[in-house]
Amino acid sequence: MPRAPLPGLSRRNFLSAAPLTAAGGMAAAVPSRKRPRIAAVVSEYRRYSHAQHIVDRFLWGYGWGNRHHRPPMDVVSVYVDQTPENTLIHDRLRRFPKMKKYPTIAEALTQGGSRLAVDGVLLIGEHGKYPKNEKGQTLYPRYEWFKEITRVFRDSGRSVPVFNDKHLSWKWEWAKEMVDISRELDFAFLAGSSVPVTPRLPSIDMPLGVEIEEALCLAVGGMDGYDIHALEGLQCMVERRRGGETGAASIHGLKGDPVYEAMNAGSWQAGGWDPELFQACLCRSHSLTPSRDGFNHVLPGLEEVPRLISERTPVAYRFEYLDGLKGTILLMEGLVMDFTFAARLKGGEVISTQMFLPPREVCNFFNPQCHHVEQMFLTGKAGYPVERTLLTTGLTAAGVDSVWQGQKRLETPHLDIRYQPTRESTFWRS
Amino acid sequence: MLSRRTFLEIAAASGLAAHLGCAGGPSAKKRKKLAIIASIWRYLSHAQHFGDRFLVGYPRKGRWHHPEMDVVSLYVDQKPEGDQSRARADEFGFQVYPTIQEALRCGGDKLAVDAVLLIIEHGDYPRNAKGQVLYPRYEMFQQVVEVFEQDGRAVPVFNDKHLSYDTAKAKKMVADSKRLGFPLLAGSSLPVTWRIPAIEFPLDCVIEEALMVGVGSSDASDYHALEAMQCMVERRRGGESGVKSVQLIQGEAVWKAGEEGRWSRRLLEAALARSNKLLGDTLIDARPQDLANNGQLPKIVKEPAAYFIEHADGLQSTLLMLNGGVQDRTFAARLQGEPEPQSLLFQLPPIPNVTYSACLAEKIEEMIETGQAPFPAERTLIVSGILDHCLESKVQGNRKLETPELQISYRPPAGSHFCRA
Repeated sequence: MPRAPLPGLSRRNFLSAAPLTAAGGMAAAVPSRKRPRIAAVVSEYRRYSHAQHIVDRFLWGYGWGNRHHRPPMDVVSVYVDQTPENTLIHDRLRRFPKMKKYPTIAEALTQGGSRLAVDGVLLIGEHGKYPKNEKGQTLYPRYEWFKEITRVFRDSGRSVPVFNDKHLSWKWEWAKEMVDISRELDFAFLAGSSVPVTPRLPSIDMPLGVEIEEALCLAVGGMDGYDIHALEGLQCMVERRRGGETGAASIHGLKGDPVYEAMNAGSWQAGGWDPELFQACLCRSHSLTPSRDGFNHVLPGLEEVPRLISERTPVAYRFEYLDGLKGTILLMEGLVMDFTFAARLKGGEVISTQMFLPPREVCNFFNPQCHHVEQMFLTGKAGYPVERTLLTTGLTAAGVDSVWQGQKRLETPHLDIRYQPTRESTFWRS
Repeated sequence: MLSRRTFLEIAAASGLAAHLGCAGGPSAKKRKKLAIIASIWRYLSHAQHFGDRFLVGYPRKGRWHHPEMDVVSLYVDQKPEGDQSRARADEFGFQVYPTIQEALRCGGDKLAVDAVLLIIEHGDYPRNAKGQVLYPRYEMFQQVVEVFEQDGRAVPVFNDKHLSYDTAKAKKMVADSKRLGFPLLAGSSLPVTWRIPAIEFPLDCVIEEALMVGVGSSDASDYHALEAMQCMVERRRGGESGVKSVQLIQGEAVWKAGEEGRWSRRLLEAALARSNKLLGDTLIDARPQDLANNGQLPKIVKEPAAYFIEHADGLQSTLLMLNGGVQDRTFAARLQGEPEPQSLLFQLPPIPNVTYSACLAEKIEEMIETGQAPFPAERTLIVSGILDHCLESKVQGNRKLETPELQISYRPPAGSHFCRA
């Protein structure tokens, strides 16, 4: 989208701000063919895996606007790392013969040749059987695959846009390197969760340039899986504050009873969060577990919250930004089953919304995400900054680390990530 | 955040508790008193959904809102297993009365409430040959009206869902509200629930064709779908002009009608593009589907039905009931001058919260506070009549019926009333 250069813009963003050089650098010259060719590099392709949800949308099309939209591009190659018994990859290869499966990532990107032979890459390293480390992080090989992808770019002297599903890597240094490489090789790089782009109830965005004092995202799910979604939900809102994003200064990860102590503290200053923001999130939820038998919808008292929450949560990450903003994500599975957000603006006003995730049978929150990926493949520009996901990746890793280190508050000098948000809203509202 | 206990404690301390119950007492700020007339009150019945909103509050614009009004009396027609009426009355300090008259008069001799919620949905009532559940909404409404007449005072009435299964009775209800000059709010939650995307048609737009996709049973869910469609099409130029004819067709004839252009496949595609609950092959492996065009619908929708509505100004609107194809409710219309149709999903948040009932509770409160119904009961009247006649068409061999009884014209509200704040 057109926008004037702003302080803090990376070189890549600056280049993409100038229409004439949009395809400049190594990314130049998408061959003049009608339909871009896409390679999918995925962990596993089975019902409900992210690969199924995303690649299926490129194959079958999806509801977008007022029609069933079929992306004007072809998935021509796929690398599938794992093929469990219930894999759908063979079914999809049969149904969509344009798509060929290759045994390596390099071959998928070159279509079995010697040079890059696709115009865009989907990197979907989510789901599948991968080891966990001592901190509980699943070691999805996103970084490793990204390196293989970009090795082909280097060897071919040409780069194409890449979409990375969810956070960049479980390891901060690797995530940072991924973004650095995308700048060096000058290709559009889009990443992250679908939470920032899904419909909102109500359909609001953070007004650009407001001053925010504190923000909170209340979410379902556990650590190393849903923390990133909650962080992205919060970050896509607060990055719109005055001055844009400044980066994070510290994080404090809490799990179990300390979360309830924080909840009862009554304020950020006292070690918790603003109870009014918490209540606003509960009021935006459409899946608030009733705290009383025989009632379908009641606002629980704080003392009732613990018994409503499932075993693997609660989890809280409390973090401070370099410009003084306070943020909290709460994973409280059982209390709610959805994603809600609230923020207190300077002057006291509270704004809140739900980031709506349609039911999993269809998972249409992937529609707006696929739309943005598609647009990137067509235009060579990412619709929102990858620095958002770099920061949330760093916060995720630091939050896990903080909990692992005995729920110790950690300084995060490495997360001084500055970037500017898009001027236009990018969530699904049409 | 207030727990229930804390709320009650604060209420007691501030003297609010004094106003709970019919006895009431002089109050600093006069809190309105509500009577609820219900078919049944048990968990997840409509009376429980709506009644509880006035007892324990509900979310509104991101806050937990406690209506500044009190339920003081309740009449329940049936007390099945799981009845909660007694427990609610005990906990919240109101009375359950054996008759509607006593509930409205709080056991005294004069109308003693400021509004009446008539929630006659769920419960054990017979069905007629047309498949209509014979809920005694009209009959109970008449008892309410009689009290108004006898006591020389009328107060706002909310009627949950359609007015009566019988068009003539439904018409009498609206006529009574006009005759006695009390506001009447009626209908479904669908017109006021969340929409995705959050769109409203501009007033006085020209609608060329409209199509609604509904699911569920008759005569409960087809009613909801018809009212959802009506709240969209009533905004067209000239407002609602009335209905000239209706026809309900079923089975193979529905697909054939689509091929012949009696309903628009393009509009069906636009509607289904908004669905978050596609069935059929999507249930096998979560694949997205172009269900309007991929040939699957005739295989998975075993008992399709199309409700054709011919409006007096020429608009054709169609409800397709597609059980087995989808599980949500979507709408599409073609507006003059726009190249593409517009479409939306009427989002019904899930059980148990069913927050769509909070959207409607807000409108009920608005009527009680302002003395004005936020949208006209004629909408629900015409929908009640459309449904009644469509079901008549069904039992008369699916033939088209002229509907002179449905020469009901009205203007839509100028404002927009669906939940979006």
